[in-house]
Amino acid sequence: MADYIIFAVVALSAAALGVPFLQYRGRRGNLPGYLLLVALIAALASVILNAATGSTSSAPFGTLLASDSLGNLFAILTLFVTLFVAAASLTLVPSGRSSNTPFYYSLLSFAALGMLLISYSVDLLMLFVAWELMSIPTYALAGFQKSKEESNEAAVKYAVLGALSSAIILYAISLTYGLTGTTNIGAAAASLGSQLTDPVAGLAVLLFIVGFGFKMSIVPFHMWAPDAYEGAPTPIAALFAAGTKKAGFVAAIRVVLAISTVYSLTPQGGLFTIPNVLAVLALATMTLGNLAALTQKSMTRLLAYSSIAQAGYILIGFVVYSYAQGNPPFAQQAEIGMTGALFHIINHSVMKGAAFLGAGLVILKLGSGSVEAFNGLGRRMPVTAFAMAISFLALAGVPPLSGFWSKLLLFTSVLNTPFAWLAVGGVLNSALSMGYYGWAIKRMYLDEPDGETTRIEEPTSFAVLLGVLVALIIAFGLFPGPVISFARDAVPALAGH
Amino acid sequence: MSYVLSLLILVPLLGSGVTFALSSLGGGRRTAPNVAAAFALATLLVAGYVFWSVYSHTPTLGAYALTEDHPWITLPGFGVDIALGLDGLSAPLVLVSSIVGVLSILSSRTLIDKREPAYYSLLLLALASVMGAFTSLNLIVFYLFWELTLIPMFFLIGVWGGDRRKYAALKFIIFTFAGSAVMLLGFLALYFGVSTSTFDIPSLAGRIPAGLQYLPLLAVFVGCAVELPVFPFHGWQPDAYEQAPAPVNALLSGILPKFAGYAVIRIALGLFPQAAYQYAWAFIIVAIFSMFYGAVVALLQSDLKRMFAYTSISHMGFVLLGAFATVLSGNPLGIEGAILLMFTHALATGSLFTLSGFVEKQSGTRKIPLLGGMGQRVPLTAALLAVASSAAMGIPPFASFLAELLVISGGISAYASTAITVLVPVITGGYFLWMLKRVVIDPAPPATDTARPAEDLSSADATVVALYLVPLVVLTAFSFLILSPAAPVAQWTANLIHGGLHA
Repeated sequence: MADYIIFAVVALSAAALGVPFLQYRGRRGNLPGYLLLVALIAALASVILNAATGSTSSAPFGTLLASDSLGNLFAILTLFVTLFVAAASLTLVPSGRSSNTPFYYSLLSFAALGMLLISYSVDLLMLFVAWELMSIPTYALAGFQKSKEESNEAAVKYAVLGALSSAIILYAISLTYGLTGTTNIGAAAASLGSQLTDPVAGLAVLLFIVGFGFKMSIVPFHMWAPDAYEGAPTPIAALFAAGTKKAGFVAAIRVVLAISTVYSLTPQGGLFTIPNVLAVLALATMTLGNLAALTQKSMTRLLAYSSIAQAGYILIGFVVYSYAQGNPPFAQQAEIGMTGALFHIINHSVMKGAAFLGAGLVILKLGSGSVEAFNGLGRRMPVTAFAMAISFLALAGVPPLSGFWSKLLLFTSVLNTPFAWLAVGGVLNSALSMGYYGWAIKRMYLDEPDGETTRIEEPTSFAVLLGVLVALIIAFGLFPGPVISFARDAVPALAGH
Repeated sequence: MSYVLSLLILVPLLGSGVTFALSSLGGGRRTAPNVAAAFALATLLVAGYVFWSVYSHTPTLGAYALTEDHPWITLPGFGVDIALGLDGLSAPLVLVSSIVGVLSILSSRTLIDKREPAYYSLLLLALASVMGAFTSLNLIVFYLFWELTLIPMFFLIGVWGGDRRKYAALKFIIFTFAGSAVMLLGFLALYFGVSTSTFDIPSLAGRIPAGLQYLPLLAVFVGCAVELPVFPFHGWQPDAYEQAPAPVNALLSGILPKFAGYAVIRIALGLFPQAAYQYAWAFIIVAIFSMFYGAVVALLQSDLKRMFAYTSISHMGFVLLGAFATVLSGNPLGIEGAILLMFTHALATGSLFTLSGFVEKQSGTRKIPLLGGMGQRVPLTAALLAVASSAAMGIPPFASFLAELLVISGGISAYASTAITVLVPVITGGYFLWMLKRVVIDPAPPATDTARPAEDLSSADATVVALYLVPLVVLTAFSFLILSPAAPVAQWTANLIHGGLHA
């Protein structure tokens, strides 16, 4: 009875395949949503059990999946995020007679299944299949508001670029298979390490970075993100920021960081090494993300750019880790850095989840997602405003909230390595980000509402969702120990350790 | 292990929670000031007790009279303890902060008349973080409390401030957050740089290789320079000081700059003595420039609060001068003077800003050219303003005089040419007297609102202002209360470079 993963897969598949039948029975409303919630809770419980019992069984998937602590971390995280997205959708997504809620929740379930499988994948083909299982439903979800023109445009843009990135990943996989004769990630990485002389190995790594970088929305592969976040229903934007993005990260950890033993992308070595490439991407991502966020007029776009910037911080951990692959004395820094990256991935999901769900409720109630709509929100929607303010402060890295500790670990790890300038960049970027986070808080609490000033009712169930996320942000900040050690256990061992 | 230092933080924190909880009950608006005052007084009692413990403790160089250690994050390879400690540097700051806390809450009764529960709650939260910052012996915990003070300040300025409060609040948070973030970078660099891998200040002292001291020193200095503030990092300060409500000014101008003064002595000098010694000349130039800059610009201000703000910049330059003069010369006078000055400046500035609030309430403006004739119209306010100005000018019998004297003497023992700083109190005296002449003696401009009769200070409000000033007079006679615990800290810091020279 140790096959918890298969149980989670079955629960989600059942929901994904079963829920659409409700459409034909005329049960549109919120029933599909509740069914998905049940499936998600069951799946979440089983992966938590999987983690708690330390089960290493991945039957019947054989060597395609590995039940390890890295997988557990991401499986719990992505399922948790989907659970909140589904719960918030009950309020935020119209469920009238003409709605297609059964399909909405079915697609969500497929995406959750995809993310679950990506988390545990240790085989390139399995990873690709899971990747598509996650991506394709989200293309449809991004354009779910059929009558909204921006939504359609965003969905098309996202789908085209998404398909391109999938093709790039597939090409990288085929190159890797051609070079190594295996699709098992561990074996392929070990084999690639001995093929330093072949420039194709470097190309394969680069293509993986580009392909996964698309989902991680790192600069310059981020162009789709602000449009898709703004055009999609807000809970789906939360899914992109807190869920699918994290699946991109786990794929990158599994593949790129494992292969980073290759270290140098060209046979001659030199500047073109994996840590160097990642470091440049990290700095570009955090800087451009923050600069662009400063100028946004729409809250969801602002959050999208802030989300891009946060990916830049996370990459710092990747840089240190891949650097230590080639420089064993930095093993301790690599461990702290990767712990920080994983912790920040967890924190970012919670913080962005709170911010997007809050924004979603504002858009629903006020009919506008422009930043002006947030003026005086502290009086009109106190719970939402408080949740968003706390998540903004945490995103900026204000102690003692969760985001502070993960950034602290990331910056600490990279100082005293040749990439110390990344910490300087990260800290200056954090200060820069206060420009828009503080500005948004100013709008909510210091400015007077434009026009109406009446208190707006916030549904209790939704307030509870926001309350849980805020509680997590504060709890992770005050008692970071357990989460840090959870993240630390998930750090994959460096090659040769 | 006693828990009295934790109590110092927890009492105002609890007060903050209780005061806020009142807002959800009926009658919170009326009871909030009393509840807040009670908690602030309790904090003052604890602070008085810990100050006395430090004072009566036989001083040992480099030792803390009271310490506490609560493990917080204990993971292999990464640990942060909530380590608290009190010595002759932090004890006076803790005491003066709690005095200012109480008086600022008392003066808010008259000056704040909207959303009281939230206001007092934030004020107590700020007080709790101030206590935490001054007692932390762990760099990360210190940073945490420092940051945690900025958030309530942001709201206190932004919600209860003057007309341009939102702009001022945003500017304040961006500047100070950026500065402290840079400082944090300096802290983080020490973790893997020093073999002990710790953020504990006493364990780091003396272990940091000279090569690793320069950049962290610069980073810490940038953080402090924004907070003090010194030229050219002061862009936020005149706006924030001008827009903040007067009782908040007492904390904002009286206490927050002391974070930086404290960090300079405890961290910049205590952890990076070699680098500080080598570049002391540069910091002294910045300090002296700042002193003159603040004084000259204050002369040009037409708004009472802006004038006091620039006075503050000038006075904080003294703190910086005293601290680095000691490093350079090994003469502990500089740091002793700096500690005393931080104590007296907090009270003198607190009284001035509080008075500016009362003046605005009485006359409807703080513009010096529009004010006048206060000597006839509101004699009590005018008298207090004159007395508080004397305290800020550094005229005996106020202990500010003694503090400036110590700092200037300390400065001279480093570089004789710093004797030029005696001009700063002269300029300060000049513009304060000029301000008093215009505001108190000259008749009010005709046909303005300020010419109308106004109600003078109530005896309760006058008492609050007087209470700011009484300790300053007492300290002139009993300066050893501050100086004798401060001496071992100053000597220990001086010995880091000049070991044995003056010991």
